[in-house]
Amino acid sequence: MSRRVAAGIAALLLGLLVVAGLFAPDHMESGNAALALKGPLAVPPFGTDERGRSLMIYVEQGASVVVIPALLSGLMVGFLGILGGLLRCIGSERVDGALQYILELLGSLPRMVVILVVALLLPVEWRGLLPLGMAWALLSAPGAMDEAAAVAERLGGARFVEALRAHGFSWSRIYLYHVVFMNLRPVVVRQAAETVLQVTFLEIALSYLAIQENQSSFTHSDSIHSWASLLQSGYRWLVVDIPTSHALALGLALIGTLTVAARLTAHAARAR
Amino acid sequence: MRLLAALLLPFVVPAVITLLIWALPGDPAEIICPPERCGGTQVLAERWNLDQGPWHFFVTWMGAAFEGDFGRSWRVQQGEDVGVLLREAVPTSATLLLLTLIPMLGASAAAAVGWLPARIDNLLSGIGTIPAVIFSLLFAAVVEINYGADSFGEEGTALRMLFGVVVLCLADGALAGAVTGVRALFAAERSQRYVGVALLRGERPLSNMLPNVAPALIGQLRARVLHLLSGAVVVEVVLRINGIGDLLWLGTLMQDFGVVLAAATVFASFSAVLLAIQAVAEIIVALHVRRAPALSAPVSA
Repeated sequence: MSRRVAAGIAALLLGLLVVAGLFAPDHMESGNAALALKGPLAVPPFGTDERGRSLMIYVEQGASVVVIPALLSGLMVGFLGILGGLLRCIGSERVDGALQYILELLGSLPRMVVILVVALLLPVEWRGLLPLGMAWALLSAPGAMDEAAAVAERLGGARFVEALRAHGFSWSRIYLYHVVFMNLRPVVVRQAAETVLQVTFLEIALSYLAIQENQSSFTHSDSIHSWASLLQSGYRWLVVDIPTSHALALGLALIGTLTVAARLTAHAARAR
Repeated sequence: MRLLAALLLPFVVPAVITLLIWALPGDPAEIICPPERCGGTQVLAERWNLDQGPWHFFVTWMGAAFEGDFGRSWRVQQGEDVGVLLREAVPTSATLLLLTLIPMLGASAAAAVGWLPARIDNLLSGIGTIPAVIFSLLFAAVVEINYGADSFGEEGTALRMLFGVVVLCLADGALAGAVTGVRALFAAERSQRYVGVALLRGERPLSNMLPNVAPALIGQLRARVLHLLSGAVVVEVVLRINGIGDLLWLGTLMQDFGVVLAAATVFASFSAVLLAIQAVAEIIVALHVRRAPALSAPVSA
């Protein structure tokens, strides 16, 4: 698949999710008991839940919980990855050493443990996916910065910059175009796309675990339903044969859509 | 530097948590357990040494923790000694982790020597895109369907553990990352000139490459173990395995600060041990590589 086609499909999928999130209602409707647990063919487009509410609302509300925090977390990892690459190009041993030490400490903590501690300490009014996503991004940054720094190192680091300066290129052209756009782009975009995916999975995992224990989620208010609700609903089809297989299929399809979008984004940004 | 980080880590984690509690706006006792969930905030503050500043809290908690006293649970199992909860949970998680490491190390070794074909990487990578929560809930369903109310019996528990190992291995790219990482490392090393020379001398390339790739291998292994530790939280909760991840999750969900602080410190200590092992292994490898080879014949001028 060509990079342009991949970029187009990824943009379309992400655009759809952003739009779905923007149009998400703040509260669930009361529903119609007569339409309970209908499949997509009986009540298009996705069928209904056990109270007869359209699963489309779950899609929209789930997107509103996930899309913006996940994208911002991805951007943060991308930015920090670029920073890691550029710092290697400066060629300062002191900066490298200090950075290595900080990244070593940050990277030596199991991410989920840190996320849970952050979730515990966050005041109730600050709760949401964004702070957790940012914490996740911060913990993912060491990997992205290391990889970007390795790319800059292979490029020649400070000697590459020096050589381009000798050719008369401006600093902005060297750093922004030659280093970041031409060389760091594939790594940084892939890492950012992976973080978007991981933050989405984090939300689904945290919400699913909270639903399982009949508790409020750390990532959204009780009036909002995340995509984890679809999985939880579908789980009942697996275990006790309640006809909610369409909810499980929808939940898995949403996860698949985001996975495909992330993969295509990374594919579109790969080096020629 | 790595050894220093390993020594500091068990102190840094509780210290950062302590600083965060005091840095956030509001009363520390109310942050730890909001008044709408916990009554008697003042009593709580006194009992937990939260009323005399962060330093006092940190020093008293660390001092008690060194003696094995992690305090008592507020909400997860009210009044229960947190140390007892940890002693019950840690062996389960350690077993889960060790059992997961066996296939991962085996597959990595097979990839290193070329027994595992490279075409399997795409398959592993594809499976690895599936998040742990999805795998776990599918396997949890299998256990519930087959064992029903008996699913916490001996067989059901063993099956949960087995599925936990499978999920930790396959989900979130754990096995795929281990295999491709090791394969790429050895492939890059194999293209080095000295490996060709070693082959010409009739030596085995693996024994020549191993000292040189060992530091990177150890680093990768540590990253994989951390990844597994992180994934274990989700797996243990969904598959209802009573490990430390499950304990940490319950503590967080029920605002049991005592349990969370202790569990996070245990995780940090484990991570510190991994860092220390990596540092010591790197030192041993460096000493081995620098050791001058014994010469079989006198060097002529």
